[in-house]
Amino acid sequence: MTEMTDQWVRFSRIGDADLVHLSGEIDLANAGEIGRAIVSRIRESGKVLIDLTTVSFLDSAGVRLLDALVGDLFAAGKRTRLVVGERGAARMILQLCAFRQDVLATDLDRAAAELSS
Amino acid sequence: MSDSGGPDVTQELRLPWDEDPDDLYEHAPCGYLTTLPDGTVVKVNQTFLTWTGYQRADLVGHRRFRDLLSSGGQIYYETHYAPLLRIQNEVHELAFDVVCADGRTLPTLVNSMLARGPEGEPRAIRTMVFDATERRGYEKELLFARKRAEDSERRIQVLQQVVADLAAAPTEAEVAEAVLRAPEPAFGAVSSSIYLVDAERDTIVAVSSTDPATGDGDDMPRSSPRAVARVAERGDLHVVGSLTEAKEHFPDLVDSMRRSGRNTVVLLPLTTGPADDQLGAQTLGVLAFSFTGERRLSDHELRVVRLLGQHAGQALDRARLYDDLRRREGWATFLAETTRSLDELHRLLARARRLVDAMVPEIAVWASVRLSVGPDGVLEEAGTAAPDGDQLADALARVTASGRPLFPAPGEAPGCVVLPLTARGRVLGTLSLRMAPDRRGVAGEQHFLTELADRAGLALENARLYEQERQIARTLQRSLLAGRLPSGDARFAVETYYQAGAQDLEVGGDWFDAFLITGDRLAVAVGDVVGRGIDAATTMGQLRSAIRALAGEGVGPARMLEGLDRFVDRVESARMATVAYAEVDLATCELTYACAGHLPPLVQEPAGSPEFLLDARSAALGSRAGDRRRTEHTRTLAAGSRLLLYTDGLIERRTRPIDKGFEVLAREFARRRDAPLQGLSAALADTLVGRDHADDVCLLCLTLGTEERMERSIGAERMQIALLRADLRAWLVSHGVGPETRDAVLLACSEAVANSIEHGYRDDPFGTIDVVATVTEDAVEVKVTDRGTWRGAVTDVARGRGLQLIRQSMDQVLFDRSDGTTVTMRRAREAE
Repeated sequence: MTEMTDQWVRFSRIGDADLVHLSGEIDLANAGEIGRAIVSRIRESGKVLIDLTTVSFLDSAGVRLLDALVGDLFAAGKRTRLVVGERGAARMILQLCAFRQDVLATDLDRAAAELSS
Repeated sequence: MSDSGGPDVTQELRLPWDEDPDDLYEHAPCGYLTTLPDGTVVKVNQTFLTWTGYQRADLVGHRRFRDLLSSGGQIYYETHYAPLLRIQNEVHELAFDVVCADGRTLPTLVNSMLARGPEGEPRAIRTMVFDATERRGYEKELLFARKRAEDSERRIQVLQQVVADLAAAPTEAEVAEAVLRAPEPAFGAVSSSIYLVDAERDTIVAVSSTDPATGDGDDMPRSSPRAVARVAERGDLHVVGSLTEAKEHFPDLVDSMRRSGRNTVVLLPLTTGPADDQLGAQTLGVLAFSFTGERRLSDHELRVVRLLGQHAGQALDRARLYDDLRRREGWATFLAETTRSLDELHRLLARARRLVDAMVPEIAVWASVRLSVGPDGVLEEAGTAAPDGDQLADALARVTASGRPLFPAPGEAPGCVVLPLTARGRVLGTLSLRMAPDRRGVAGEQHFLTELADRAGLALENARLYEQERQIARTLQRSLLAGRLPSGDARFAVETYYQAGAQDLEVGGDWFDAFLITGDRLAVAVGDVVGRGIDAATTMGQLRSAIRALAGEGVGPARMLEGLDRFVDRVESARMATVAYAEVDLATCELTYACAGHLPPLVQEPAGSPEFLLDARSAALGSRAGDRRRTEHTRTLAAGSRLLLYTDGLIERRTRPIDKGFEVLAREFARRRDAPLQGLSAALADTLVGRDHADDVCLLCLTLGTEERMERSIGAERMQIALLRADLRAWLVSHGVGPETRDAVLLACSEAVANSIEHGYRDDPFGTIDVVATVTEDAVEVKVTDRGTWRGAVTDVARGRGLQLIRQSMDQVLFDRSDGTTVTMRRAREAE
């Protein structure tokens, strides 16, 4: 049921990395579905950028999802960044949850360049 | 010996010459033998010797009578002759074949007498032998004649049976089967096959066969050089008596005759028309039957064969007429049935689907409809054995370009009939049909298929036009309703919901609108135009604009409606439209409303039950018979009141009286008093009409004033969290809570509710969660209460993170687990 998650998640490429663009409110009700949609798309990826700049709300289920995604990518030796912008809901909660600073990025293009280097 | 007194004939007559007794014995007209009781010849006359060619010396004293008999005769001699003779002393007219000296057999009749001595002992046998050659010939002839008569009778009987069967066979197939059964019992044929002439397709069709002699069961063109086609054309019986004859006349038969071990083949045309007129006769089929060994047919048999051909031909003719009639009846019924069935559905895809489903398997084994409609076109297919893609594409292009149907001959590409679907002179698409492989072309079928395609084309074109109009009307309606509604004012919130009627109906004329007359005066309206489709949609747009133009400061609902009446007098399509219209003074929460023939608005104040606003009612717009005196009514609402305007689709159900509908609506509205505004209208529509409803439904819900305390009660369901958040966000905004605090409170509240759902109500899908939010100058406080049973919440890592987040984002968090769980969270407001 990919189309059900289309309003929250879109996929594209930036440089040689896969770009996962999340938007809207991500919470207990949709985090599971969104997670499945992402995993099915990035299975073959070498580098993954997750853009959270237009996420208007993120709850602990969303944090759990991101934590699992990043953990799996690291375990597979893949490089990844979460792009959260200077402020906003996503940055606030990820900081509250003390995500590692080297995983977070504020600018999409710079994050893409970092991944390629 | 005569007592009658006549001359005594026993008295010896004097012969005119002297009869020498020896000569009489020797040259008697029969043979004489005298033998010993064991059969040894002791005396024999010259007549016997002359007949058999033996010398007297060969026989007398050397041979026994039985030695002279054929082997069968010897057995008969031992088993019958000798015992009878011994018992009766004489035997009469026993038939024996005597073997002559040169090996010939001489048919004879034998009389013998046994002479006994004084003691009764056998002494000699006297035997008289008559030549029975001619008599045997007569017998044989008699037997032969009898057999012929029997054969003939049997044939006649078979033929009678066949004729009876033919008369009873109503269809061509049954006639063919009855004819096929005839040659074996009637003529002793080994096998037979039947071919029928298909005049329309100019072919001869192999229908059924037990006979390998005339070919491989393939159809052939009427012009084929093969024996069957030739005989069909000549219309006369042909007997191929031997392989040599076959070589000479029909070389195509030689191989198959040789292979199947047949030496004689009869090819009988089945004809109708006057028997004596070869020219007037029409050949409807050919019956072929064959014999192993060369078989000559007698004249009588040939007459019977011809008779069979005529009878079968007539039966075929009759059956064809009957078949034809029945088929035409079937077609007519099918056409009527299909047209009616297509009319039942309005949508284009549904009609296309139903069309192919009607074709398979009744008419074809495979059917497809292709329509050049929309960017991708329409393709509906049914059945199996689709034709080759490239060949089909080629045929489709040709038919689409020419607009003429394609009926390929058997075996010709693309292996299916392609019919253009035309309407109003335009080729809309194609209908392709692959007929069953064993199906023979029948007269009139092409005409039937063409008519079918014409009707289907018209039905599909109508559906396409319907579809087009429906699309235009929907687009129009959407664009008219899509205008932005006023928002961003903390003093009110409007939510609307529009649900189109069940799929096959045209758009209705339901609409809603909300606009600000002045900065402090809000107008809301819900209305319903009579009729459906594009007209209703455009009229709705006009009325909506008219209301916006007529409403103004100091006008009020009653005068606005009067203006609308004047408008409707000039816009006839808007006559009898209904409107519920209300204006709200946002400063005083004063509501003024009027209803022109519309269902009464429903109001729910923070305290008390919902009420229908039943004052200020008048007739529908432009009504001639109704009361058009427009009045209005004013009342003041408490802050936090909700007002619901709606169209009749919400409460009118065929299965429910309308007063019951009002009751259900009031109850459901009250039940959702504490539900978030967002999603309220949709939830009401869902509960009251469900998804599969016939009519359009239109709702507008207005919440007035800012609640000091936000109280909500939501179901323990994940989807509810987002709705609650939207409400809470709007409430926080309306109280001027800054973005950082707002985000923190939203996060904490979401996590608390999620905890209640995940843990408090993990076993109870029907649990409810109460959320109460209050705001002061300094702080925001949110209480989340559930009555579930928490188990292991604190040890759950994921939920543990939720609790962690609550603690991190709020300044103060208290858990009270005395009765269910209440989480009280407080956060200081940031400096503005």
